[in-house]
Parts: sequence; structure tokens; C-alpha cells
Amino acid sequence: MKMPPSPARQEAEALAHNIPAERYDRIVRLAQAIFGAPIAALNLIGNDSQFTVASVGFPKGEIPVEDSVCRVTVLQDEILEVHDLREDERFSNIPAVAGPPRVRFYAGFPVHGQSGKNVGALCILDLVPRTLGRQQREMLADLGALLERELAVQEEMDLAGQVQQLMLPTSAPDIDGVEIAGRVQPAREAGGDYFDWFVVTEPGDAGKRLVVVLGDVMGKGLAASLIASEVRAVLRGHSRYTDVSDSVARTSTTTKHDLDANSRFSTLWVARLDPTTGVLEYIDAGHGLAIIASQRGYRRLYQEYVPLGAPIEDVWEKASDVLAPDELLVVVSDGVFDVLDDSFDEVEAKMPAILDPALSCRQIVDLIVDFAVFHAASDDVTAVAVRRIPRADGDVTSAGPASTT
Amino acid sequence: MSFEEVDQSAYVVLTPEGKFNLVAAPPFKARVDDLVAAGKVRLVVDLHAVDFIDSSGLGVLIGGLKSARQHDGDLRIAASGSQVQAVLKLTNLDRILTPYATIEEACHDW
Repeated sequence: MKMPPSPARQEAEALAHNIPAERYDRIVRLAQAIFGAPIAALNLIGNDSQFTVASVGFPKGEIPVEDSVCRVTVLQDEILEVHDLREDERFSNIPAVAGPPRVRFYAGFPVHGQSGKNVGALCILDLVPRTLGRQQREMLADLGALLERELAVQEEMDLAGQVQQLMLPTSAPDIDGVEIAGRVQPAREAGGDYFDWFVVTEPGDAGKRLVVVLGDVMGKGLAASLIASEVRAVLRGHSRYTDVSDSVARTSTTTKHDLDANSRFSTLWVARLDPTTGVLEYIDAGHGLAIIASQRGYRRLYQEYVPLGAPIEDVWEKASDVLAPDELLVVVSDGVFDVLDDSFDEVEAKMPAILDPALSCRQIVDLIVDFAVFHAASDDVTAVAVRRIPRADGDVTSAGPASTT
Repeated sequence: MSFEEVDQSAYVVLTPEGKFNLVAAPPFKARVDDLVAAGKVRLVVDLHAVDFIDSSGLGVLIGGLKSARQHDGDLRIAASGSQVQAVLKLTNLDRILTPYATIEEACHDW
């Protein structure tokens, strides 16, 4: 059986797949306690499934929509109350009525989504036939309204998270001789971590450079993500017209008011890589978690600067290194460092796992982020990996002491 | 997270416990704001019982330090554990928020 097509069905499907476990359990438990019923649930009605996303006395999960009572509730705008399901031919044959737990009574309040259409229902079920009084019906409607509010917040947060994801670079940078990948796993729907990359022309027409950025705005969630978006955009803007030191200095000045007003700070690690020579110029604003690694060992690329928004004015001066053709640049956020006990000895111990030359940068960032998430990182987790690859014309050159050519 | 507060008249000692993170930070920040507004601008945060701090916790300490300094006071930290010191060092925030070994050292000139 399929439900009549409606945007509300798509909305319910999207919600069902994004709802964090246990998010709505409290309201459902409240409903169960108030009505003294053995079963209470929030069911979302998708195209051909019912998704039980919160429940007491009934398993969460997905059942075919034809086995659902709430499928009828979502098609009306008032409470559906069925005194005895066994006596109602629409429902007498569904498994929960014909077989265990053999429910008899149903009352469901249709719950709106953002679209204004009903995405699901808050329902209570009993094993004996009963009738709700006027006050009880009002109570059920009140609880349903509470759930609607929660759902609306959830949908807004999901959308904010999508916007933030869509701001991340997805395609390979338009510059020859480099491979790059990055990934963010926010602890909530949106977060304060971000990465970025883009190509600029170095001042004085000195050629194209790949700008690589990893930023971490203090805190988590939507508020941190708003500030992260600002820092990202301001840095992007300034980067086009000046070198790496000055672009960070200007970003610090431009964002100062907003960081101060919100008592936030942002760590920032920004580099410019010339893929032809491997020369890497960078600024480290209190981030501290960038390394260049190879089979020969690793070195940290860090400076003594504090994060943007901290109450001292630094004079930003870039440092320089050279990324050799066999070396890997890895930048992570503190969410990764935390699961390594904030210890560089632990970082070193884990290094061999990502230094297999057969791994792509994509696979490397996946290994790092999955590792952190698996070890129950409570923070946002971000990783970026960069290495030089043979240019289209087959030429890889290097400069400086780290050269192997 | 709960935190103890002892008013030594020349300064106030706040002692948070456990994880100083996103959950713990807002009530702590609210208390620091109240103290500063009440003219208690010399604050010592005794961190001996904090085993983990994240960027939200650091943010509150830096925010508290900023507002205390705006009112000619200061916020200082004492007795921080190894994880707290590692995070301060990583972010270079130890340049602003000097970790003192003891409460006595933190308020030596108050």
C-alpha cells in the first residue's frame, strides 16, 4: 500500500531518518503516564512505511503503512479516536490488533511539519476499549502541539546543517599537481568546525596557490556554525587580494567585533601551497594541529599565535616549510586530538595507519574521522589531507631541505 | 557540573569539578558574569578537580578574563591538570591565561 502522494510524506521520511534516538521519548512517556495507557508513540507516516521514532510499550522502527492506524490520522485535522479497533473494519485485521499485543483502543493527534501538512501522529493505545473525555482530548492536543514545536526546531537545525555542509568545498581545486580531501563530522546538526580550500593568485602575479584552511570556533551547534560561516567568508574575501599573513590579520580585524560580542574565539590554520615547488606558507592562530608526515617521521607546523577573538593583538607573520613529493600534510580539529588523549605521542603511534601510499587523501580523512567518531568524540571532528601528485606534464620538482628529488 | 565558591573578600575562588565542557560552561559563565557585575572582579578558578576541558570551557575562562579585566580585575587559574595544560599550550592561550600551581601563587599580589 502506498499513501496518497504529498510533500508531507517526503518531509516525514526525511525527518524519520534524521531524528536522534530518544529525542522525543520524554513527551511520549509523558503521554503514556497522563493517559495511563500501556502504549504511546510518535509515528511518522512516509510514502509506504510508518516510522515509530519515539515510543513506550511498542518497538521503534519501520512497519508497512497498511499496518498503521496513524495513516488515517494524518489525513485529517482533528484527533482520531477509535473506541474499539476490533470493531472497526479499517483496522480489525492489522497485526497489532489481530495478534499480540491485541490493542483495542486508539487515540491519535495529527502532528504538523514545517510544510503545514501532517507528517505523523502522537498516539496512545490501550488493550481495553475506552473513550477520552473532553479534557483528555485537549491534553492530547497540547502534547501534540509540544511535539510539533520540537519537530520544527529539529527541521530548522537539519536545514542549518545542510547549509553548512553545502558551504564545504566538494570538487578538486583548479590547480595542477595536488590531491586534497576534507571531512567534517559535527557533534550536532551544525557545528563550529569547518575546512575550506580554494585557489588564489599570489600577490605580484607570482602564480597560483592552493589555500587550505581549517577553523574551529569555540563551542558546538548552530551558534558556533554562524560564527564559523562568517570567519570562512571573511577569510575567503581577504585571501584573494593579499598574502597569507595579511589575510589572517585582516580577518582577525574584520571579525573582532562579532567574536567579542559573542565571547567566542576561533582557531585558524591557513596555508598557501605552491604545488610546483612544494613551498608551504602558513599561519597558525592557536590551532596547533597541523603536521607534515612521511615514513621518515613527522613535524608540526605551528606558531605561537593565539586564536582569533583572544584579548591580545598579535602581529601575524607567516612561517614557511616545504612539502616534499612523498610527504602528507594533515590538519585535524581538537575533536580528533581529544580522542588521542591530547597527546602527540598518541598521534605518532597512529601515524603508520594513514601513511600507506596506496591510500587516497579521501580514504585518509575517512580513516581519521571514523576513528574519532568510533572512539566517541563528543566534539566536532574535522580532518584535511593534502599531498602533491605528479603534474599533468609529469613534472614534480621540490625545493628546500626536505627535498628528495 | 557543580562548582564551589568561596569568597575570600580580596578575591573569589571558584572550583569547578569534572568535565568543563559545553554542558558545564553556561552556568559557570552566568556565575562569573554575576560576580563581575557585583564588583567581584578578582577571580581565581581552581581547576584541580577538572579532568577535561574543551573549547567551550576555555571560551568561558577567556570570556571571564576579558570581562574581569574590563573592570580592572583579573581571572586567574590555579592547579590545572595535565589535560587542561595540554589544551592551553596547544592553543597558546597560556600566553593570556597563565596557569599558576596554587591558589596562593595565583593571588600573590591581591
